[in-house]
Amino acid sequence: MTHPIVIGIDAGGTMTDTILVDRDGHFKIGKSATTPKNESEGFIASAEDAADAWGCTLEELFSGVNVVLYSGTGMLNTLLSRTGRKLGLITTKGLEDMVLMGRGLQAWADYSYADRLHAVTHQHPDPLVPRRRTHGVTERIDQFGDIVLPLYEHEARAAAKKLIADKVESICIMTVFSHVNPTHEKRIAEICREEIKAAGVEIGVYTSHEVRPVIREQSRLNSVLIEAYATARGRMQLKSIENASKKYGFKYGVQTLLSFGGLTSINHPRLHETMISGPIGGILGAAYVGKLIGNDSLICSDMGGTSFDMGVITRGQTRIENEPLMDRFKLNVPTLHLDTIGAGAGMILKVDPLTKKVSLGPESAGSDPGPICFARGGTEPTIADCDAILGRLNPDYFLGGKVKLQVEKARAAFKEKCADVLGVGVEEAAEGMIDMLEADANNALRRVISGQGIHPSEFTLLSYGGSGPLHLAGCSKGIGFKDIITFQFAAAFSAFGCTTADFMRRHSVSTQIDVSGKPEAAALTSVGEKVSEVWRDLADAAVAEMLADGHAREKITTTPFLMMRYTGQLEDVEVISPLPVVASAQDMQKIIDEFEQVYAKVNHRVSRYGEAGYSITELGLVATADKVKPVLVKRPLGKSDPASAHKGIRQAYIGGRWHAANLYEMDDLQPGHEVIGPAIIEHPATTLVVHPGDQVFVDEWTLLHYRHS
Amino acid sequence: MTSYSKEVIADLVAGKLPWPQTRRIMSAYKDDDRFFKYIQVLQDRVGWNDPILLPVSEHLFICDSPEGRVTKCECGHSFGDYRKNWKLSASIIVRDTEEALREIYPTSDIPDPQWMEIREFICPQCGTLHEVEAAAPGYPIVHDFEPDLEGFYREWLGRPLE
Repeated sequence: MTHPIVIGIDAGGTMTDTILVDRDGHFKIGKSATTPKNESEGFIASAEDAADAWGCTLEELFSGVNVVLYSGTGMLNTLLSRTGRKLGLITTKGLEDMVLMGRGLQAWADYSYADRLHAVTHQHPDPLVPRRRTHGVTERIDQFGDIVLPLYEHEARAAAKKLIADKVESICIMTVFSHVNPTHEKRIAEICREEIKAAGVEIGVYTSHEVRPVIREQSRLNSVLIEAYATARGRMQLKSIENASKKYGFKYGVQTLLSFGGLTSINHPRLHETMISGPIGGILGAAYVGKLIGNDSLICSDMGGTSFDMGVITRGQTRIENEPLMDRFKLNVPTLHLDTIGAGAGMILKVDPLTKKVSLGPESAGSDPGPICFARGGTEPTIADCDAILGRLNPDYFLGGKVKLQVEKARAAFKEKCADVLGVGVEEAAEGMIDMLEADANNALRRVISGQGIHPSEFTLLSYGGSGPLHLAGCSKGIGFKDIITFQFAAAFSAFGCTTADFMRRHSVSTQIDVSGKPEAAALTSVGEKVSEVWRDLADAAVAEMLADGHAREKITTTPFLMMRYTGQLEDVEVISPLPVVASAQDMQKIIDEFEQVYAKVNHRVSRYGEAGYSITELGLVATADKVKPVLVKRPLGKSDPASAHKGIRQAYIGGRWHAANLYEMDDLQPGHEVIGPAIIEHPATTLVVHPGDQVFVDEWTLLHYRHS
Repeated sequence: MTSYSKEVIADLVAGKLPWPQTRRIMSAYKDDDRFFKYIQVLQDRVGWNDPILLPVSEHLFICDSPEGRVTKCECGHSFGDYRKNWKLSASIIVRDTEEALREIYPTSDIPDPQWMEIREFICPQCGTLHEVEAAAPGYPIVHDFEPDLEGFYREWLGRPLE
């Protein structure tokens, strides 16, 4: 093997996964517990694990690679633990209570279904800025951008002085309709900077139109607050990752992943755009694998310790979610759409002593203390304990043997807390628990597919994550996928996906442009001019940022896009513009035609409704620069007998009885091999359970295809 | 199965538990021994020794006293037999004029005193406001409930009263 060229690292809530890739597409993965207090510890431990697997030292590894990608949880943790900066807020007079009222759904977002129904548990998240440090100033701009009331500068100045006296670390500014006309926000920022300078202190100033110039002030407010609140410490964490890499000889800057699927340097000016990045890697990886196998309708499913994330690519289209939730705050960040349910191997199992009702989670044992079988102080039985009790996990080979699973300990606790309460045998109860988890995931998958309005037989399921393959059989059973695929590097698939991303910037701005159902040429021309002008400004801004990151101008390509809807609708469709500029009425018509096509693809061709006219609600632009990417190697199919990967036999409990299951080493499986269940295919970082009668076939890309009997 | 320490329950009753922990307790299955720990916490709070059988409101309890089961205020004042409506032995303020209602709603709308009056039931000994009733003028004082103590202890708590 040659030397790795890319290191991709994905720090999840429980584990930090590393993937090393060389120019010929060889992979090695490493795994280590996430260390939220100082992420660089987990980063180095995970990288070291991967370097060991590759057979090189950390110095050799870091000094030889071109790209280090890291997506972590630092900022999210800052937000969750409320350990960010001390903020002050200046807003339009009359809107001061916005921080307290929030959005109604923020009071129950992320709750379990039962708690959502029990209003007594509802609670708004603690605001990031207290009401007493929120100041209203008189000013008003209307939805057309016209100034209705001038800015009362003396009020802004008094507010700035008060905030400086309150010793805030950052001042955020958010006024109504600043995305249409930012004049007042800009002037308030100037006044703040003057006062900060006069006071001789260092305070950051953030304006909402710079962070996200788009409509809906609550999400715009949350975006600017979170940027000011959480990214300073997040940047420090990323800096510590970069320093750790440099200590071992890395020569360049560390890259991180944006929530809409691109890479950026850790000096990114709007770092909150990287907060939801972990699961995004999976969708990118799926798109890449989809190209290899020639299917552009894919469901990717990631099961880790805490959650089950599902991403959909429908006939080549990924969905962008514009207002995702983060720590129960509705944000305004374009994010690749994911559906998530609480389902993972770390789920804590509970049995109600009165009604014997079993519930999974929603709490997860995480990596600390972890499941009982880890023997790190966990006392509540989890799904992973059930997997260990049933012989599906190898007690001596978990994380390649780094963690010895205490099966007896898990068994005793599970018997006492679950099986005995239910009054059934330990194995029966444990398998029942796993069945429940898999049924939850199975239902969630069915729901996601039916939401696409496309038959499941068109979709390929990609299963990954540390516990994805372990529960793959149950999760996918009976849905009727075209194909079900998992990977030797399943545990680091998200990290792998990150390595397939390009460097990227995404700039956009809200607009209110309406085109009638049967537009005149002149109207189209004038709309086209408006659109082109916005795109030009966005391109200048995006390219400038990429140049600042050190990319050469000729390597940067820009692709404009539009968010469009039929006039009167409530949801937008993202349309990638077929043209770089709109020069004529014909060009504008081409863009409208493109919208109709995308709309028909995402929904259905009969649901088009051009008579209503068209509205352009947002104009944007994606700037990208290429990066070296891994290639999966195609090898000829060999013989089907997998004897060369066979490593023994273990008793495993599947389908109500114990089986003597064949054990295989996942990394030793070769193209052409066929494994027939009951079997267990092990990897240091993941385990694939093959149910009796089911089959696993290894194709020429060394992808593992799971076939139900 | 689930059980919390008496200190946790004491903080819960006093409203001193942090919100995330309070919510976890609310979302979990009810702890088996909650009622008895709750009673212990209340018993520690009151200044008298008659065993509490059932809390009626925040500072009002049914307890087992030498005079039989009585409704008792936290201060020790007895309202008499628990099967009788304790409100009849309380001091009562009736707000049935605009001025009287305006006293408690100084800045907002008030009900029409011809249609509704507010009755406040107060302990004659310590002045604690135990209950408030909003009723039409002339409507009899409501007997909130007469608990089936024997049935509750036997069937719900599994520990019959002697």
